[in-house]
Amino acid sequence: MIPTPIQKPHKSPPVRSAPKLEGHRPLVTFLNKDATRAGLIQGAVLFLVLLLFLYLFSNAAHNLDRLGMVFGFDFLTATAGFDISWSLIPYDPGMSYWRVFLVGITNTLVLSAAVIVFGTLIGTIVGILRLSHNPLVAQLARCYVEVVRNVPLLIQIIFWFTAVFSALPPPRKGFAFGDVFFLNNRGFYFPTAQSDIPAIWFVIAVCAFVLGGWFLRQLARSGNDSRPQKSRAVMAGWGCWAALLIACIVILGRFLTWSVPALDGFNLEGGQYIPAAFGAAFVAMTVYRSAAIAETVRAGMQSIDKGQHEAAATIGFSRYQTLRLVLIPQAVRAIIPPLANSWLVAVKDSSLAVAIGFPEIVSVFMQTSINQTGRAIEIISMVMGFYIVVSLSISYLLNRYNAHVQYKVR
Amino acid sequence: MSNKTGLKQFVAKPARLPTQNDQTIIRRIHSRCFNTIGNSILTISVVVLGWYVISAALDWAVFNAVWHASTRRECMNISPEGACWAGVISWFNGLIYGRYPTDQQWRINLGFILAVMWLFPLSCQKIAYRNFILLSWIGLYPFFGAYLFLGGTFGVDIGVFHGVLTCLASGFFILLYANWLLAILNKPHLCEIFQPLASRLFNRWSQPLCLLFVWLVLSLPAAAVLSQVQLQPVAIERWGGLFLTLIIATFAITMSIPIGVILALGRQSTLPVVHWLSLLVIELVRAVPLITVLFMAVTLLPIFLPSDMELNKLSQVLFAVCIFAGAYMAENIRGGLQAIPRGQYEAAQALGLGYWFTMLLIVLPQALRLMIPNIMTSFISILKDTTLVSIIGLFDIMLMARNISNDKDWIGLHTEPIAMISILFFVLCYSMSQYSLNLEKRLKVDRS
Repeated sequence: MIPTPIQKPHKSPPVRSAPKLEGHRPLVTFLNKDATRAGLIQGAVLFLVLLLFLYLFSNAAHNLDRLGMVFGFDFLTATAGFDISWSLIPYDPGMSYWRVFLVGITNTLVLSAAVIVFGTLIGTIVGILRLSHNPLVAQLARCYVEVVRNVPLLIQIIFWFTAVFSALPPPRKGFAFGDVFFLNNRGFYFPTAQSDIPAIWFVIAVCAFVLGGWFLRQLARSGNDSRPQKSRAVMAGWGCWAALLIACIVILGRFLTWSVPALDGFNLEGGQYIPAAFGAAFVAMTVYRSAAIAETVRAGMQSIDKGQHEAAATIGFSRYQTLRLVLIPQAVRAIIPPLANSWLVAVKDSSLAVAIGFPEIVSVFMQTSINQTGRAIEIISMVMGFYIVVSLSISYLLNRYNAHVQYKVR
Repeated sequence: MSNKTGLKQFVAKPARLPTQNDQTIIRRIHSRCFNTIGNSILTISVVVLGWYVISAALDWAVFNAVWHASTRRECMNISPEGACWAGVISWFNGLIYGRYPTDQQWRINLGFILAVMWLFPLSCQKIAYRNFILLSWIGLYPFFGAYLFLGGTFGVDIGVFHGVLTCLASGFFILLYANWLLAILNKPHLCEIFQPLASRLFNRWSQPLCLLFVWLVLSLPAAAVLSQVQLQPVAIERWGGLFLTLIIATFAITMSIPIGVILALGRQSTLPVVHWLSLLVIELVRAVPLITVLFMAVTLLPIFLPSDMELNKLSQVLFAVCIFAGAYMAENIRGGLQAIPRGQYEAAQALGLGYWFTMLLIVLPQALRLMIPNIMTSFISILKDTTLVSIIGLFDIMLMARNISNDKDWIGLHTEPIAMISILFFVLCYSMSQYSLNLEKRLKVDRS
């Protein structure tokens, strides 16, 4: 047998009584706990905020009472009674304030959508030119960006309005393009189509063709037939689509009558027009936005590793192929988040058109309607609510798209 | 299709000659501007476009311009093609000072010079307590400036609180420059001069305490002088031009940092109530345009504040611009806070620092330093955004420039004032952005 070693009795650590805290008070310990502190701080903050709101609202109630005003959204159904210089949806002074709100929203959205589309296009081109190997081109793009970025947008809008669009000749002496399009200091006039067929059919036709084109594109991508046959089939598909489109235009065109603007006294009658204020705001904002987007695009392109350029050069890609096949697809991932932000800013910046009297939401609703009705709280919260909804929806959509484009990390 | 195997025989091309290293300028121009036909066309068109734009601009602004005339009609008679700078020159004073009384404009110049002089020591590496100089500028100079620009007499137009702070500000400024002057002259500084007197009053003696004492002592003669001076009161409504633009921009820039820090810390907080409140404020303000915030301040503040509290338009606008700039700054600072490695927080905790000490001593200095480029970009956009106050009727440089065309002598003179302030803003913003690039480079060198 193996002798078992004699086990020493396990030496337990000397039991020390916990040091008696001098003047130990349970309340202090309780107050020093993190959870208690968190609760107390949050309670205090909440209490102060509620108190502030109570104070503000009691003031507001008192002031409204003193001025004989009431709070409520009933004014939205009242007749507005003032004219709006330009609106895309039918409007006349006999309509309600709700209609004024809608007119303001459509004008704002149309202006910002136009700015976003053209600003992104021009900005992408300028951003790529800024990285050109040709030093002159790169410097020209740089000058454009620096000049545009460092002058406040408001100054640019007023410059385009007063120095360019308002300086155009009056309607009688304005520029005419083939007696169909007219450009003068009131705006840009163009013919419009009128028809007895309800407009919804035109919308349906356009949607059908867009969907058809999309379907053909999907078809062209799918399948793994041999290349020539497939491309022939796809070409046939596109051909049918185009033929149908032309046929539709011809057939629908027979039911259309054109209203062409023509000089009548001091003004042009007929057709439709885009006011000079829209033109000035659009040009100024597009230029400004394109400079911001150009910087975004440049930063995105420069974030790509140098090895990618070299690898593309190694397999013999031309400069254009490198851009299209290697750089842009990768740069998109870096560009999208700031680009989304830039679009949000474009929507918010469209409010500056108020300075030149373009009837967008701030101008028609926040200025004119507040002056007419005095319902400041309601109107300002409605306008802010509109901007918040637009901002949130754009950022939601772009976050979705961004999640789709980014690398999937597992 | 003819090639059944689908493979091509690889035939090596003869190796290209190595690129020549001795590139002359002409060769470099050739290789970058005229290497292909397309590029040559591009180059030539850029040169032609550039020449056309520059020559047209110079023709308008310099060669055909009119510098001396008394009315716009006279300008048109002399040279209808060129710019009429005479109108801008005759309104130049208005563009800079707004409608401030002409004989009082020295006060604005003085205030500007003092503000710059107060900040100047910050750029000198050897000066001690630079943080305090910056803090004093933020905390004290506004009161001094308000006294100088508003005018009035102590005890009549100027309240006790405002008056005391103005005196303290003057005392601080005198202390700053007196000490500096003594240091340059290699004389003992004010603390040492005052030591015999002060050591009788205090038992414990340290330099900060001494400086505090000297500052308070120096404020007394300043108070005595200032209480005798009677500056002509100038109403806020008469402030305008570049002066007003700079006041709003500087105020918003300085206030945006503390507001931004508080909101960013709130947003990063683990306390749900604080977190959600900060998040709500930041996101709501960032989702709406500045012009709506300005309208809100101008129309809603009078409703939500007590009826006996009358705010002038400038303070309403300052409130709106500060909140707006603060929310944007909060997002910048949050980016900095998130970039600080976890270890820094843990190290601070290990040292036994609490939340506020961790933030103030360890995290925020690093976060702010990291975010300097973004913060500078924000400053530039604040400066540009101040032009919006013209929409709600403050006579900043933008509205002054627009108003020139309403003057009966210069009716319709739109382009020249706009061009002039565009150049001004370009110079200001461009130099700020170049400075920030410079700063970024310097800090990068520091870190490595």
